[in-house]
Amino acid sequence: MREVLLIRLARLHAEHPWKMFLIVIILTVLLAFAASQLSVTMRWSDLLPSDDPRTIQFNKIIQEFKTSTSLTIVVQGEEKRIKKFADELAPNIVNAVNARKNAEIETDVTKLQEKIKKRRSRGKDTSDLERQIRELQGGKDRKLFQRVDYKLNMDFLRNHAMMLIKKQDLENLKDIFYSPNLTELLTNYNNAFEKEYIGRQESISSREKEDGAVKTLDGIENFIAFLQKIADRQQVSEKDVEQTVDFLLFGDPYFLSYDQQGLVLNAIPNFSLTDIDLVVAAVEAVEVLLTDMADDFPDVQAGMTGFLAISRDEMIYSEQSLGTTSLIAVIAILILLIISFRMWFAPLLAIFTLMIGVLWAVGVTALIVGQLNIMTQMMMVILFGLGIDFAIHLIASFSERRAAGGSIADAMQYTFTKSGKGVLTGALTTAVAFLTLLVSHSRGMKEMGLVTGFGLLSILLATFLLLPPLLVFKERMWAWLRTKLKASPQKSRDISFRSLGALSNWLCNHYGFTLFAALLVTCAMAWLSSKMTFDYNYLNIEPKGLTSITLQDTVLNKFDLSMDYALITAETPEESRRLAQGCKDFSSVAMVDDISNYLPSPAQQQERRPLIVEIKNEMQNASIQSRLPRGGFEQFRNELQRLQFNIMEMQDMAFIGGQDKVDNKCQTIVGDPEDVNSMNKIADLLRTLEEYETVADIFDKFQRDFAPRFKASVVRMCHAEPITLSDLPEDILDQFSNNKRDQFLITIFPAGNIWQDARFLNQFTDDIERVTDRATGMPPVFRALIQVIGRDGRTAMLFTIVIVFILLWIDFGKPGYALLAMTPLAIGVIWMVGLMYLTRQQFTVMNVMGLPMILGIGIDDGVHIMHRWISEDRKNILTVFSSTGKAILLTSLTTMLAFGSLIFSIWRGFGHLGAALFVGVAACFLATLVVLPGAIGLLNRNTNKSN
Amino acid sequence: MKYFILILMLPLLAFSQEKTGAQIINKVNDLMNQESSEVTMTMTIITSSGQERTFEYLSYSVNFGEKNLIIYQAPSRVKGQKMLMLNQADDIWAYFPRTQRVRKLATHAKKQKFEGSDFSNEDLGSGDSFTTDYNAQLIDEENKAGYDCYVVELTRNPRADISYSRLIVWVRKSDYVPLIIDYYDDKNPDRLLKTLSQSNIQIIDGVPTAMRMIMHNHSDNTSTTVEIKKVKYNVPLDDELFTERGLKK
Repeated sequence: MREVLLIRLARLHAEHPWKMFLIVIILTVLLAFAASQLSVTMRWSDLLPSDDPRTIQFNKIIQEFKTSTSLTIVVQGEEKRIKKFADELAPNIVNAVNARKNAEIETDVTKLQEKIKKRRSRGKDTSDLERQIRELQGGKDRKLFQRVDYKLNMDFLRNHAMMLIKKQDLENLKDIFYSPNLTELLTNYNNAFEKEYIGRQESISSREKEDGAVKTLDGIENFIAFLQKIADRQQVSEKDVEQTVDFLLFGDPYFLSYDQQGLVLNAIPNFSLTDIDLVVAAVEAVEVLLTDMADDFPDVQAGMTGFLAISRDEMIYSEQSLGTTSLIAVIAILILLIISFRMWFAPLLAIFTLMIGVLWAVGVTALIVGQLNIMTQMMMVILFGLGIDFAIHLIASFSERRAAGGSIADAMQYTFTKSGKGVLTGALTTAVAFLTLLVSHSRGMKEMGLVTGFGLLSILLATFLLLPPLLVFKERMWAWLRTKLKASPQKSRDISFRSLGALSNWLCNHYGFTLFAALLVTCAMAWLSSKMTFDYNYLNIEPKGLTSITLQDTVLNKFDLSMDYALITAETPEESRRLAQGCKDFSSVAMVDDISNYLPSPAQQQERRPLIVEIKNEMQNASIQSRLPRGGFEQFRNELQRLQFNIMEMQDMAFIGGQDKVDNKCQTIVGDPEDVNSMNKIADLLRTLEEYETVADIFDKFQRDFAPRFKASVVRMCHAEPITLSDLPEDILDQFSNNKRDQFLITIFPAGNIWQDARFLNQFTDDIERVTDRATGMPPVFRALIQVIGRDGRTAMLFTIVIVFILLWIDFGKPGYALLAMTPLAIGVIWMVGLMYLTRQQFTVMNVMGLPMILGIGIDDGVHIMHRWISEDRKNILTVFSSTGKAILLTSLTTMLAFGSLIFSIWRGFGHLGAALFVGVAACFLATLVVLPGAIGLLNRNTNKSN
Repeated sequence: MKYFILILMLPLLAFSQEKTGAQIINKVNDLMNQESSEVTMTMTIITSSGQERTFEYLSYSVNFGEKNLIIYQAPSRVKGQKMLMLNQADDIWAYFPRTQRVRKLATHAKKQKFEGSDFSNEDLGSGDSFTTDYNAQLIDEENKAGYDCYVVELTRNPRADISYSRLIVWVRKSDYVPLIIDYYDDKNPDRLLKTLSQSNIQIIDGVPTAMRMIMHNHSDNTSTTVEIKKVKYNVPLDDELFTERGLKK
């Protein structure tokens, strides 16, 4: 049946090549249109099963919470300059529009205006076109971002800051707010410092405590600088006073790094991450702004990271990178074919056929899947490597027969009967092996199976339909040229690899040695395979050299904050508070950001209220002294000295406690204890004060400028009325809530680098998932991905083995032959993993997929050799390996070249898969070359004995 | 009849020879809390920015671990800094040579981490906490780290103000040295928080002493190693050493 169909197809090609060509053209046009509709997604969550709660939650969050997918701009430089840079950049980002869309609208409007002119000249109605223009223009200048977050909302804090401080902290800190007068304020600070560690339940070494200490020290540093300015009799502006008070009460409002050399701006988009065109437009718009500002701020470095920037970069650069790797693969394959076939035109036809086949594959992908994901993106390169094999086998047989003097029709029939069957079996086996990935739970693997399985079948169809007519045209053209030029007929050339045949023949004759050596190598490789490890670091599979990726490390180092956070949604602020508190209890969690930071529970507010009222009353009743009391100057200096001691002691405690941020901050105020030349700002101020007989004039200045504002600010922030959801300003609500205000977002930052150690990734994810089963974000998604893909890989491998065996049994008619054909594959897989270990590769979430794939790819070698061996009446090992051996060597080399080209990909994950498959294909070929002749030798001996 | 009585008493005799959890923990407690001690040791911590920092200090202990004094020897930056822990590390005082001041740092501080390490003050200066704050029960006997051990579970007394809901202690049968201690979460008795491993056990002044201790924090996946360089037991120590005035000396 199969043979009859193939012979009919061969005849059709030989007799009606133009008709076949026409069918190909029609199919190509249709599938090219489908291919143009294909979209790409770069989200890791899209690799998980569609019904996975993490995927559902993640998609819900990116749809409902624009803040969760912001564009992060990291600015680095000197503190004042980066603040100025941010102040100038932020309004420009808010005003940024989609320039590309504007240009498109302009073009459309111009076209419509021309139409209107024409209609008017004919006296026709143009109102519909005018309406279209109005609609189009309404879509112009749409802003890409709703706002930029880079400072605290000071208005809200000025009114409600006290209500946001925990009761325990209020009790410890309340003394600070009892007096606005200089000496008393310093005394109160010192008292609070010396009381700081007393009676606390929680440790100061926790992340939040360390941050709190740094914030307080920031305020003091600024306060000392302010006093120094007054002592130096410099002009103090209203703004200086306001800033000093704000720093002391609220800390620095800018989102600054610990070393104050870095600043982060979060641009909140007006669109969702799923709208990839707008993602690209928005990132490009900000890129233009940053480039424009570079001239005015040569000392400031700025770059983009976060979901939007990474999505844009990954898409653009991976497309470029895959384009380059595809080109490398095609050129390398072409050169290899030209050298091995010792002709150039047929390889060109093979490549052309392959291109059309890949186009069909993309079209079919668009029809059945609709989009490519991170994994299936590289399907083209994989299909290049595998699809070219069909053409190689067909060209090899066709050329062989033509060289032997066969007519075109005869050569075509020979090609389809001799190679067609093998190609068909090989392709179907590989495609079915890929399609077994459909048993996977993960979308990534499932789609990979669909895309590569149907893609391979598309190329097979393209090769069977397009290559033969092209070969017929080529032969006819050559014949016509030879007649025209009166050239002599082409000489017969033997293009088989005799040396390969001779080697296999020797291995077959010395089967004992061959099989023993193969067994030894296999044992060694199996031992090496057992030492393979899994690399859980997702950053190692991300593209290298991309600013958006490297800036993630900058944020981690400078801000001590991982951008790979977990996300949870809650339906009420109460639930948000409960979940946030649950997460805070784990030491694997560094920080939790949720609405409860701005909206304490009614019970918490109730217990804070009396303390706030007390502070307010104390401050309201405190009088601003107009004169320094007797002995006040000495007392002021003593308090300054005491403050210096307190900060020094805090510094020493921080050093032995390993709290580097507090230690470093103290160092900027009281100097480095190991460097006598380092600056001690309090000591400097004390020295300046020693120059004065009296501090009265300084005191007056302070009292006049600072004290009233400090008093007013403290009274204002002691708003004792409860904060309700409706009191929160829009920007805070937007940060934590969706538009309907019925969903609330909780962001959980891990306490360390989750990628450095799988145990920490598991610990962090387990902790969060213990609080709720609705957690999503990169840590839960990636951990689930590792588990799902690992499980899928094992299941798919088992299915593939069974299905391949059944297919081969059907094909060969004997289970023994099916097993024989599969033996080199089984050994090849062991060699592959062993070689991966030897070449210092590790399993990753990307290359682990290579194991089930290699089962489908590697089986072809054994199938082709077995087919040829059977067709040679189970004899002529020399011929089998000289001819078909050459073909499988070529197909293996072309496949290796295609997979090997992925190593040059900017996406390290693609490179990992490419390297694994490169090694895998080589291992399967070598196993076929060594094990099959040995096994055949053993079979022949047994047959001879029984005869 | 005489034989009959003997047969009846056999199980009782066997029972009396088997040790109870409380007996084992009492022995451990006696071993861990010598009347006084003088120890030179090093401790390596990981700072909040991920760097390793090693401290060397002298530690004095009296009154069976009730009072502890730590004097930092290295690095030079903190040389001379002292920490006085009284009431089994519940009250902490510090002396800072840079400012020459003594300050009371904390009360009720025994649950806090000890200076950036994975030990809490409670772990270091626990005194007779094993016998007073927990109920002990022998749950198994097994070979651990190559030694035959009793496995004793310590469950928190309802009134005890301590950080752990329970402990599992592997006590070496030969000398009652606790080789491994698993510490379980205050709120969730199934959640393993930390594991202390003691090794390199040497007999010092007749007391089996672990010269190396590693506390592994399972939540943070961090470890703190303490190495004892020199130790003396039952040394005469001046009581004034353990006072605010003594700190300044």
